[in-house]
Amino acid sequence: MDTIYQSLVTVNPVTLIGQICNLFIQLYIFKRFFLDKVKAVLDQRREAADRQIADAEAAKSEALAMKQTYEQNMLQAKAKADDLLRNAQKTAAARSEEMLRQTQQQVSQLKAKASSDIVLEKKKAINDAKNQISDLAVAIAGKVVQRELNEADQSRLIDSFLAELGEDL
Amino acid sequence: MEVEINGARILATFENVPLLGTVQITQTLAAALLVMVIISALSIWLGSGLKVTGISRKQAAAEMLYTSLVKFVRGNMGVQFDHYIPLVGTIFVTSVVSNLISLLGIWSPTADLMTELAWALVVFVLITYHKIKASGILSYLKGFLDPIFILAPINVMSECFTPVSMACRHFGNILSGTVINALIYAALTAASSALFGVLGSSLAAAVLLALLGAGLILLGRKKQKKLPFVLGILLALLGICAALTNLGADYPWLTIGIPAIPSLYFDWFGGCIQAFIFCTLTTLFIKQAAGD
Repeated sequence: MDTIYQSLVTVNPVTLIGQICNLFIQLYIFKRFFLDKVKAVLDQRREAADRQIADAEAAKSEALAMKQTYEQNMLQAKAKADDLLRNAQKTAAARSEEMLRQTQQQVSQLKAKASSDIVLEKKKAINDAKNQISDLAVAIAGKVVQRELNEADQSRLIDSFLAELGEDL
Repeated sequence: MEVEINGARILATFENVPLLGTVQITQTLAAALLVMVIISALSIWLGSGLKVTGISRKQAAAEMLYTSLVKFVRGNMGVQFDHYIPLVGTIFVTSVVSNLISLLGIWSPTADLMTELAWALVVFVLITYHKIKASGILSYLKGFLDPIFILAPINVMSECFTPVSMACRHFGNILSGTVINALIYAALTAASSALFGVLGSSLAAAVLLALLGAGLILLGRKKQKKLPFVLGILLALLGICAALTNLGADYPWLTIGIPAIPSLYFDWFGGCIQAFIFCTLTTLFIKQAAGD
C-alpha cells in the first residue's frame, strides 16, 4: 500500500474550513461543560461568602442596638433608683423630724400636766393639813379650855384662828 | 541516508465534489477529531460533580485552571473583554493538546499550517470587527490611506499578514521541532549502525565489554564513587546491545531514550510556549483593535 503525503506547507481548503468548524464546536463544548460549570460554582461560593458576611454584619449591628438599649435602660434604672433613694431619705428625715417634734410636744404637755398636778396636790395637801390642824386645834382647845362652846362659836373661833394661821403661812 | 519530512498523510480523496472540486481528507482532520474528543472528555470530567464546599482534588485542579485562564485574559485585556475567555481558553487548550499529542506518536494537527491559519483567521475577523466597531467603517477604510494614499497596498498587506504571521509563527516552531527530531533520529540511526557494526562484529569483544562494565559498576559501588559507576552502566549497556546485534537483533539502539532529551525542549516546552504566545497575541491584538 503506498501512502500519499501532502507537501509540507500547502493550502487545503477542506482542512481549513474543517478546523474553523472544529474550533467553534470545541469552543461550545469547552464553555458549556467546563467554564460555565466552574464559573457557576465559584459564583455560588462567592454569593454564599457574601451572604455570610452580610449576616454577620446584620447580627453585629443588631447586637450593638441591643447593647445601646440595654445601656439606656440601665441608666434609666439607675436614675430611678437614685430618685427613690433620695425620696426615701427625704421622707425618713421628715418623719423623724415630725416624730421628734411630737415627742417634744408630748414631753412638754406631760411636764405642764405634772406641774399643774403638783400645784393641785400641794393645794390639797395644804387643805388637808388645814383641816387636820383645825381638828387638832379644836381637840386641843377643848381639852385645854375645858369649856363647852356651841357649834357656831366654835367654828368662828376656829376660822379666826385659821385665818391667823393662814397669814402666818 | 535519506531523511524525508512530509506533510499530513492524505486519507481519502474525493474528485469532482460540487463547489470544492477535489477534496482531500488528511490526517490533520482525523487527529483534530481525536484532540477534540480528548479535550471534550476532559472538560466534561472536570466540569462534573462540582460542589460549593468540601471540594475534591479534581475540582481544585479545575478551579485552578479556570482562575488562571481568567487571570490571563483579564491581565492582558481587562475585565470588559471577559466574553473572550472561552475563545482564548479553547485555542490554548486545543493548541497544547495538539502539540503534545505528537509525543504519543500521533500526527500533531498543529504540524499542518491550516490548523493555525484557521485559528488566526477567526482572530483576524475579531480584530477587524473591533477595529470597525471602535472607529466606524469609514475611518477604518480611511486608515488604509495613512499616511499617504500610495501606501494603501502596503497597509492592506500588513493588515492581511497579521493572521499569516500568527499562524506561521506557531506552525514554524512546531515544524522546527518535528524537523529537528527527524534529523536527530536519522543521525542516531546512522551512528548506531556504525557503532554497533564495529562493536557487534565479534561476540567475545561484546561480552568482554559488558563484563568490564559490570566490574566498573561493582568498583563504583564499593568505593562510593559516581564516575566509575556511571561509566560502568554505559559500558555494560553498550556491551549488551553489541552482543544482541551480533546475535541477529539488528536495531538502531541509540534511538532509544536519547531523542527524549531534545524532545523535552522542542515538544514539551515549545508546545506549551507556542500555545501561550498565540493566546497572548490574540488577546493583545483584540485589545489593541478595540482601541483601549
